[in-house]
Amino acid sequence: MLGSRAHHAIWRHIVQVLIIAGLLGYMFPFFWMVSTSLKPKSEFYTYPPSLLPGHPSFGAFSSVLIGRGYITLLGNSIVICLSAVIFILALSLLIAYPLTRLSLPARVKTGILQWILSLRFLPPIVVVVPIFAIIRTAGLYDRPVSLIFLYSAFGLPFAVWMVKGFLQEVPKELEEAAWVDGASRSYAFFRILLPLLAPGILATAVISFALSWSEFLFALILTATPRAQTFPVGVWGLVTQFQIIWNEMAAVGVISVIVPVCLLLFGRRYVLSALTFGVIREKS
Amino acid sequence: MSLAIKGRQVAERKLAIYLLALPIAFLLSVTVYPLLHTISLSVHDFRTGAFVGTQNFLRAFNDPALVASVRVTVIYVCVAVLSEAVLGLLAAVVINRSVSSPLLRGLIYSVMIVPMVTPSVAAGVIARLIYIPGYGILNYVLRAAGIISRDVLWLSTPSSAMFCVLSVDIWQWTPFVFLVLFAGLTAVPRDIVEAALVDGASGVELFRYVELPFLKNLLLMVVMFRFADTFRVFDHVMALTGGGPGSATEFLSVYLYRIAFKFWNLNYAAAIAIFVVIVASILMYFLGKVLTSEVA
Repeated sequence: MLGSRAHHAIWRHIVQVLIIAGLLGYMFPFFWMVSTSLKPKSEFYTYPPSLLPGHPSFGAFSSVLIGRGYITLLGNSIVICLSAVIFILALSLLIAYPLTRLSLPARVKTGILQWILSLRFLPPIVVVVPIFAIIRTAGLYDRPVSLIFLYSAFGLPFAVWMVKGFLQEVPKELEEAAWVDGASRSYAFFRILLPLLAPGILATAVISFALSWSEFLFALILTATPRAQTFPVGVWGLVTQFQIIWNEMAAVGVISVIVPVCLLLFGRRYVLSALTFGVIREKS
Repeated sequence: MSLAIKGRQVAERKLAIYLLALPIAFLLSVTVYPLLHTISLSVHDFRTGAFVGTQNFLRAFNDPALVASVRVTVIYVCVAVLSEAVLGLLAAVVINRSVSSPLLRGLIYSVMIVPMVTPSVAAGVIARLIYIPGYGILNYVLRAAGIISRDVLWLSTPSSAMFCVLSVDIWQWTPFVFLVLFAGLTAVPRDIVEAALVDGASGVELFRYVELPFLKNLLLMVVMFRFADTFRVFDHVMALTGGGPGSATEFLSVYLYRIAFKFWNLNYAAAIAIFVVIVASILMYFLGKVLTSEVA
């Protein structure tokens, strides 16, 4: 028995070492990208390619952000995504609150929820053609506002389901107690429910931001100039150039990954829980 | 039912309608209205604008490029979803059994979430830095290991280009399957596992009769999500191969994009879009069934 237990312990250690090695391997592409972004141009012609930059510099970052003016695209992305997040939060509360707190026929509730969920599975490419035509006739082509509008709509289904889940976790009795004390419905909502929902709202905001931040198809089709182009369009623009400049390409890649990863530092647990449909409920 | 309660119910319904009206109208205007517009586009000619009925659809059925696109899309969806499901499930079971330290578990959660929030275009960039001839590190590693003697042109041979595009999807989304199932496994009651082990169940039997039944619904759900998302694959393909070489990685979205925004045949593109919607709806229908039994 003891022998088998010792055997078991050794086996576990081996597996754990393998898992850590696997994690490092999984992260290698990121490492390679960061390393490439820090290499000066001269280091791309040496063979074999070096793992670490010999003379690390932020030259590629400044030449792409300032020299190519990608800082404008970064600004566009931030403005568009933040605006979309605000709309998404407001609209998802408007939908989720009545569906969880007000007395509606159960069939209506599940019907609306299922319809909203089904929109999550609508491939954007199938509505992109008419949306392009509509945006053009409305004179909103190459304007950030059209992307804000679309990101709000396409981010909404996911957010509604998240907010709905968080709302269901707050007992209705808390608000009812406030009503008994004479508080109005809106007072109970803003002063009692909303503060309790704050962590969930934050997680919804982070995920909605990350989803809008990654969006590429609409941005590619509905923008043409730095007036409205988002950062992913800029990333793509560098990739499809005839002569590819490796360190600049890696630098834009690094920037586009760093932004959502930094956001994840806020409320990782809630984000994980939301990304995995609430399966992860670990206290960490 | 007393009058007071009934009055409150009526008031609540009224409020619900006020609150829901604006966001639902908004969603309808961005999704359902464009869909109707797509249908109208699909039955008109793109040069004259005249009503042509099913002509665009008939053209779609006889379009070899569309057939090729459907073919590569099917291959892509099947290989990606299957690999992600198998690898994610395997990793979840193995890691759940061998890692108990909360620190290491926390580290795994943190690391695995990063690929999921990486913009797909950026994932395409990362893959380029690995596969591209010259600077790409993969050729160097394979040469150093003596597996190949000359650089492989990963992105310009049809079969390897498909492999490259698939590898990005699998790298980025296996963590999603893994995280859901890994978390799902923590819900398996400890005493059931122990009872099975006392009864002499082997590792495989434990998986087959205890863990798998617990994970079944979750697995079905993640597979449906991955199905829907691989079906619309676009971003990293554009950054990595642009649909090429030839049409080796010209998936439905990429083909539709080319017809609409390179050839500007919006009407034919609309007909293809309708076809895609029909297939997507069938998938959606099944997903709805799974989710209602799971969530509601």
